[in-house]
Amino acid sequence: MMVLRRKVGDVICIGDDVRIVIQEVHPGQGVRIAIDAPIDVPVHRLEIYRLIQQENQAACHAHALQWLQGGMHVEDVNNDG
Amino acid sequence: MSKMLTTTGEQPFYFPQGLAGFTSAHQFGFIYEGVGDLVCMQSIDQIEAAFILTPWDEERLGKPPEVSQEYLSCVHASQEPLAHDEDMLWMLVLNPFADASWVTANLRAPILLNMQARRGVQCIQHNHKLPLRYHWMRHPQQTAVAAASA
Repeated sequence: MMVLRRKVGDVICIGDDVRIVIQEVHPGQGVRIAIDAPIDVPVHRLEIYRLIQQENQAACHAHALQWLQGGMHVEDVNNDG
Repeated sequence: MSKMLTTTGEQPFYFPQGLAGFTSAHQFGFIYEGVGDLVCMQSIDQIEAAFILTPWDEERLGKPPEVSQEYLSCVHASQEPLAHDEDMLWMLVLNPFADASWVTANLRAPILLNMQARRGVQCIQHNHKLPLRYHWMRHPQQTAVAAASA
């Protein structure tokens, strides 16, 4: 993992398209940053994004259509591996 | 359904961000099997990414969430006309597999579709009070069994 030391107003770039600006630093409380990224790059707090990732993966099933058609029960899915 | 979604055979929806956990899935088709308000949303480029969706229900949930300019850009929409825009459709991702009795709905990350532009985005909400697994409906199989035994 790369670790950088930056001051308020400094910018970090990730590739050509992502810019991170250090806006405010409050010692002991946190850092306020601004992120400029293309619309196809999702930017979220990690703990929230992980929750949604996990829930999407739990809700996703290749046989979702089969479930919708009434041919699959919850038990079948859970036994599916 | 209050607004008809495009189903099999028509132009798919493009999700610029994919979905959380499925960021390679950008093109989605919708399949309606005539089961109430439920549709299957299946990725074309990541075939295992298939979800059951249902429209946001204002009577149960109130108004859909406000969305950031970033999300609106994803679906080529602007903030001002959104509330009245007939082309916009809010959907909820249902989870039929997590609970033996209930199909749950993820209120933390509804999906916004622009049916005219054929673009979509999953709008992740930072409100911790919104449930990830809201009890949406009983499993259809259970409902059928209950009806048969009544």
